[in-house]
This record gives sequence, structure tokens and C-alpha cells, in this order.
Amino acid sequence: MSKTSPNAAAQSRERRVWYLIAAVIVAALPLFVTDSYWRTNLIVCALNILLAIGLDFVLGYAGQLNLGQSAFYGLGAYSSTLLVLKLGLPFWAAFAIGTLMAGAAGALLSFFAVRLRGHYLAIASLGFAVIIYQILLNWISLTQGPLGIYGIAPPPTVAFPGLPQIAFGDLRNLFYLTAGFTLIVYVLLDQMVHSPIGETLTAIREDEVSAASLGIDGPKWKAFAFAVSSAAAGAAGCFYAPLVGTLVPDAFFVSESFMILAMVIVGGMGTLVGPVFGAVLLTILPEFLRSLGDMRLIIYGASVTLAVLFMPGGIVEAFHLLRHRLFPEGEMR
Amino acid sequence: MNPAAPKQADPPTPLLEAHRLCKNFGGVRAVQDISLTISAGTVFAIIGPNGAGKSTLLNLLSGVYQPDAGEIRFAGLDLVGLPAHRRVRHGLARTFQKIRLFKQLSVLENVLAGYHTRHSIPPLQYLLHGAAFRADARRCRAGALDLLEFVGLAHRAAVPAGSLAYGEQRLLEIARALATSPRLLMVDEPAAGLNGAEVAALLRRIANLRERGVTIVLVEHNMDLVMTLADRILVMDYGERLFEGAPGEVQAHPEVIAAYLGAEAL
Repeated sequence: MSKTSPNAAAQSRERRVWYLIAAVIVAALPLFVTDSYWRTNLIVCALNILLAIGLDFVLGYAGQLNLGQSAFYGLGAYSSTLLVLKLGLPFWAAFAIGTLMAGAAGALLSFFAVRLRGHYLAIASLGFAVIIYQILLNWISLTQGPLGIYGIAPPPTVAFPGLPQIAFGDLRNLFYLTAGFTLIVYVLLDQMVHSPIGETLTAIREDEVSAASLGIDGPKWKAFAFAVSSAAAGAAGCFYAPLVGTLVPDAFFVSESFMILAMVIVGGMGTLVGPVFGAVLLTILPEFLRSLGDMRLIIYGASVTLAVLFMPGGIVEAFHLLRHRLFPEGEMR
Repeated sequence: MNPAAPKQADPPTPLLEAHRLCKNFGGVRAVQDISLTISAGTVFAIIGPNGAGKSTLLNLLSGVYQPDAGEIRFAGLDLVGLPAHRRVRHGLARTFQKIRLFKQLSVLENVLAGYHTRHSIPPLQYLLHGAAFRADARRCRAGALDLLEFVGLAHRAAVPAGSLAYGEQRLLEIARALATSPRLLMVDEPAAGLNGAEVAALLRRIANLRERGVTIVLVEHNMDLVMTLADRILVMDYGERLFEGAPGEVQAHPEVIAAYLGAEAL
């Protein structure tokens, strides 16, 4: 038994090395990507990663199909923006409240859907997404409906004494802010899924009755996973508004939930790193296909379908198979 | 193993008591007016033909179902209304007749999941693993491997639970239930589908558990196993109590023989 425990310590060290590598990549990216179009795409990538790893936490680990991610995204975006506009709250206070509100909405949805699972939960969460979209569209006195909210300011400039000011109107700084935040969330989620919390959530995913026989409170942990997942989406929404500068309900239409789902599935659900690749691929790929006009939607849809059909474990599984084929001896590391 | 009939001479402290339990499903009276008293440190067997309500009774005791009427007390604590997951913290554990392992997880991970109620990690270390987190992980891992050693599955720790042979899966369910550190373990037909050698090994392990002070509730069809292990046997038929007594009494009881072999056998 002593042979397995140093292994766990080594894995823990290895994870920290990967965190560091990811931080270096985040730090270096704006040095190579200098034009504002691609820098904007990088920020969108970071937000999509945040949405996808959040969904993966509840879907890949706790096994709960949440199709409400677009609604939580919208809740974060609209509530933080309105708190700044209507109540004059500082951006970061609005950010915190918007994130918490989305998380609370997720926990509440899970609480009401506690007896539902599989397709039924999917439909309930989809219904929730439709309701939120309709509210954003029709509560015109608050959200201005389809007219949208314009001229949303970037997060306020940060000034540390003795250092140059950091203005978030600058896309490089906004990238560091969003990607840095996403990386922190990734690290926290990664630590959680490699802790007894991960064991608990996967036990619920595999068999809830059996999990209860081990003392696991299924409804409580599902609500927790939902809250974490939707809070991540809410935070992404809080960043989305100042990035785009405009809020319209169509940005949070139900189809957005399926986009995020596609990122998780194409990347490989139940592995936190998979949805990162899925999100990057499905954010950047359409940009390269843009010159093809409407053809790009067909190519996009076809590639997602093919990915699901031929590599059901996503990019991560395909990578493992490839490594296994190239290095048949097995574990090379 | 001796059928330990003399143990009943001076009544030991009851660990689990049920009084007039009833459970109906629609018009079906699955469990009717069942009372029982299980003494600490004994093996209490529940037998009866298929459909007699044994598994329903076990589900009532473990909290999968709540009774329509009746009382359940565990070490003085009222269990009625307490959901299954809360009962685990008080020391009740169970296995399932229809095996319910986490099939995609490894054998070791199945047992580790059983440590859910027994971690001692400061909340913040779930987000950033520190020394206390690693100490807890080492402790649970070592304990889980010990349990796998106990059921003879240590060499299979890394394989997915779903790839185990049927008999091994039953043993893994026992190891997983033991990970919750129960005072009372309920095993639902642990010998079903096991071959002779496996049944013999199972018998040794259950006897071993009793020696360690774990009280056992055993639902089983294998009469050799029941007669060898049980201190006390409850016989059920059509949801009702047919007879309760020591193994020798049960074997001699005409109504029990009738229920098992048909009335003609009398």
C-alpha cells in the first residue's frame, strides 16, 4: 500500500507543473497575438473555456445534464450590467453579485429538479433557459428588450501605487484579466475533482441509490455542482458585457447552451482539460471558416457530429489512443 | 463455527429494534407487522421464499424506503424519517441484492467513495491541497487497500469495478460498505451467484467481521450459510413473520418447512 501514496504525491506535483505551464502560456499569448481582432477572439476563448469547464463540472463529474448554461451566462451579464447602470454599484461588487446570483439560480433550479434526471433534467433546464431568454427579451423597462443595452464601460482601471495603471479598455489587459480568472477557476475545479468531492460527484453520477448507502446526500451535492457550474457561467457573463460593450438577449439564446455542450463533448467530458481544448477549437475554428460564408455552418455542424460519432471520448481520448499507438509500451512518463 | 445458541441465554443489549413495521406498495402488503430485535455483535438472518418481503424489510431498515407504520430504533435513536444517507453516519451500512457498484470507477475508487463520511480535511484544502489533505488521502487509501485485502481483492485494485467477476463484485460491495465503518452491516443475498469455494470464503469473512464486533443482518437463500452463521433467524412469508428463533428451532419448525417445501411435505 505504500507504493501508491508517493504516486499520489507525484501526481499532485505534476498537476502544479501543468498549472504553471498554463500560466506561462496565458502570459505569453498576447506577445504573439498583437492585432485586436485576434486578441478579442482570445478573450472569447477564455470566456468559453470558463463556460465549458463549469458545465463539465456538473455534467462530466456529477452526471447532471444542464442545458441552462446560456441562461446563467445571461443572468450574470445582465445582472452585473444593470447593477452598475441602475444602482451605480462599482463593477467588482456587481461582478460578485452577478456571479453569486447565477450560482444561486443554479442551486435553486437543481433544488426544484431534484427528482429529475437524464432527459427530464435536460428538458427542465432547457425550459429554464427559455424562460430567462423570454424575460430578457420582454421585460423591456429593465433590459430594454431586443433594443439592447449599449455603451457598457470596461472594468474600472486598476492602479497600484508605484506601478503603471492597468486599464481594461486595453484588450491585452482585459485578456490577462479574463484568462487569469479562468485559470484560477480551472485550478480550483481541478483541485476539487481530484479530492473526495470528485469521488462524491462521480459516485452520484454512477448510481445515486448506491451513493446514498455510503452516506452521500445526493440532492445536496447536485445542488452544489449546479451552483458551481452556473456561478462559472455567471462570471463569464459579467466579463462578456464589458468585452462586447453591448447586451442583447440573442447572445443568450438557448442555442448557446448547445454550443457550450458541444465544447464539452468534443473536448472530452469528465476530464477538465478536455473542455478547454473543445472550447478553443470551437471558438477558433469558425473564425478560419468565416471566408466560406454560410458553408461554415455546415462544416461546423458536420465536424461536431463526426467528432461525437468517431471519438465519443472527445479530444482527450483521441489523444490517449494516439499516444498509445505511437508508444505501444504504454506509460512513457 | 458453532451455531451460537447459548449467546441468547442472557439477553445482550439490542442494537437495532423494529416494532410493527408495515410497508404497502399499492395493494401489495410487502411488509406487515414485522417486529425484531437484533443484539449487538450477533448475526441476524432473514430468510423466506422469493417475494416474502425480505429485501423490502432491509430497505426499510437502511432507509431506501420509509415505513407506512411502525418504529425503528438504532442504539436508542429513532430512525423513522431519517433518509438513507443520514443513517450511514450513525453506523448502518448495506450491500444490494442487485449489485450496484460504480462500474466505471476502479475497484479502489469504489472503496474510497465509501469514506465519504470519514474525511478530515479543512474545507479550504479541498480548493488547494495541503498537508492535511495529503495525510487524509494517505489514510483513506491505506484503509481502502486494507479492506480490499480483507475481501481478497487487493490485487484487483486498479481495474474497473465493472470488469470484475460476479463473485468479486459481491465482495467489493462488502468492502465498500465496510469503508463507512459500520456498527451494523446489512448484506442482501451475498452468496447469490457464488460457487462453493467462494461461499466458504464469504462465510469465513462474515464470521471474522462478527469477531471484530460488527453486527450483521444477513438476507440469504443459501441455507448452509444461514444455519452456520446465524445466531437468530427471522422467517418471513407473504410479508409477515412466520417464525423467529435459533437455527435449530427454525429447522425443526413445521410451518417453515411448509413454506419452503410446500404443505405436502408435512
